[in-house]
Amino acid sequence: MQVRQYLIRRLALLPLIMLGVSVIVFTLTRFTGSPVGIYATPNMSPEEVAALEQRYRLDEPIPVQYAYWLGGLLRGDLGWSGVSVAPVTDVMGLKLTATLELALFAALIAIIGGIALGTIAGVRRNKAPDHAARFFSILGASTPTFWFGLLLLIPFYLWLDWFPIGRSTPEIFDTIAHPTGLYTLDSVISLNPTAMWDSIRHIILPAVVLGFGSMAIIVRMMRSSMVETMSEEYVDAARAKGLPEKLVIKRHARRNALVPTATVIGLSFGFLLQGAVAVELIFRWPGLGQWVTSAILSGDQATIMAYVLITSLIFILVNLTVDIAYAYLDRRVVLGS
Amino acid sequence: MTMISTPASSASSEPRPAKVPSSASSVRWARRREVIREVFRNPLTVIGVVIITLFLLMAITAPLLTEANQPDPYQSPRDWANIDVAPGVEGHVLGTDSTGGDVLYGIIWGSRLSLQLSLTVVISTLIVGTIIGSIAAMRGGRLDNFLMRIVDVFLAIPELIFALAIAAVLGPSFQNIILALAVVFWVKYARIIRGEIIRVKQTDYVAAAKVVGASSWSVYRKDVLPNAVTPLVVQATLDMGNVVLIGAALSYIGLAQAGLTEWGAMVSAGQSGILAGQWWVSTFSGVAILLWALAFNLVGDGLRDALDPKTEGR
Repeated sequence: MQVRQYLIRRLALLPLIMLGVSVIVFTLTRFTGSPVGIYATPNMSPEEVAALEQRYRLDEPIPVQYAYWLGGLLRGDLGWSGVSVAPVTDVMGLKLTATLELALFAALIAIIGGIALGTIAGVRRNKAPDHAARFFSILGASTPTFWFGLLLLIPFYLWLDWFPIGRSTPEIFDTIAHPTGLYTLDSVISLNPTAMWDSIRHIILPAVVLGFGSMAIIVRMMRSSMVETMSEEYVDAARAKGLPEKLVIKRHARRNALVPTATVIGLSFGFLLQGAVAVELIFRWPGLGQWVTSAILSGDQATIMAYVLITSLIFILVNLTVDIAYAYLDRRVVLGS
Repeated sequence: MTMISTPASSASSEPRPAKVPSSASSVRWARRREVIREVFRNPLTVIGVVIITLFLLMAITAPLLTEANQPDPYQSPRDWANIDVAPGVEGHVLGTDSTGGDVLYGIIWGSRLSLQLSLTVVISTLIVGTIIGSIAAMRGGRLDNFLMRIVDVFLAIPELIFALAIAAVLGPSFQNIILALAVVFWVKYARIIRGEIIRVKQTDYVAAAKVVGASSWSVYRKDVLPNAVTPLVVQATLDMGNVVLIGAALSYIGLAQAGLTEWGAMVSAGQSGILAGQWWVSTFSGVAILLWALAFNLVGDGLRDALDPKTEGR
């Protein structure tokens, strides 16, 4: 019951927070030269622009302007993306799936690697693997993602030519169907091994670069919760009943240590979204990050604002999911405190 | 915890124990000395402190290390005769970029920009965050609720993305990056200090101070705040590095002025050369960012271990 109440309260708060985010984004749009620039396309006549100004009540007081801006938002009118030469809503889906695919791969690398390293470090506390893992996690938190990406290009792209740049080889991917928009998944569905290999080759390097920082966060959390669970009585009890050490670690210590680690996985997803900006720029990955950087350079406000809205929404939803999962996993949590 | 010396005790022949602190503030100072000793016992923290000291020296003595470029020292002097030269060439220890800008010069003067960025952002957000968090926690009720919902909204947008949007709206310049980061970073401090104050308020010594009739301002100043700042100190130390990391990412994307001796902008200036084998510009300026962030992370981590008894020996 308690979990359900907590869930309801969190869900009720969600629209409120999104409304708050929309106020912030709206405020930002009013700092730009003329807010009509969000909606106007380059080939519009002055009359058409005037009609737009009328439609969004740009000559009226700010609260009225906000109401009309929000109304447009809810109808799916996010304005005109200058860099994509199309309405924002038409392009956003494509960019979003590209970024999500990259972020999911990066998250996979970060979670698997982070849990494995953190477990080893926690079990062999204060031994060499532990020191190495601690240093690795500090290093991961200190490495500029964009620089790390550039550095990896030198050996793996320039010298060895193992991993190509971009998202795919267009000739291969033009020929297969795109039911999901996630290229790796599409290639599996269409049972095309060439496409599969191609999409994997393209995604590995950017995903590793992107996942590195998040992995550091997960390693650190996993390590300290392992240290904690390894000293719990139930671990001693499991050993006392004669369970092999491997199973003690796997079934008892690690399973319980995963619970607090789940929360940082949500937080580190924010890390992935922000990291994607630079990573997509370097690896020419046609996702939200590359979209927003080109928008910044050409002063395309509509795209920038849509980007902030969509990334915040994802971030909020991921954290909500993690919190709920956490609440179910660990009933000892005092919810909402 | 003031020790009141009564005539009886002063008259007694028993010597007072030498190390008994005589007031709350001296207890605090004794604890601080202990923490500092503890911090310096960790070799990694010492490495961090050394790196930070070197960066500070570099920033302070920049005009002595390299002659300042006129009129703007934060633009590398252009040596058009030596474009894209590799490290080790006479006069260009770390090489030059595609416009003849000296990499070492950029790193040295860039340390001043990093210092300016991190100090301005961390100090200003620390002050604003502490004030807002304190008001929320001390007043409680509706005001607390309202302020914390604002904090929730700010935290709903990832830091870099929020700062990126603000800086993009304001236009590309390093000052705008500083401003954007300042708008974003106060939230964390407000939330941390609020949580801590609520915890401290429930302790016996705060209740005792209230019973004696101290005003709420004096309780806040003498008993609550000093006992609530510890996590803030740790976070601020870590953020001295984080702010530079995010700031560098923003100027890498193109939100700083072109040609600025900012480390992120220098990585960006060098990246076109990388595919031509000119690795030095991006690599060295990136190392500067990495070392800066690493140093503050090491010290912040050491501080956390020393200040938080729960993590001791972990």
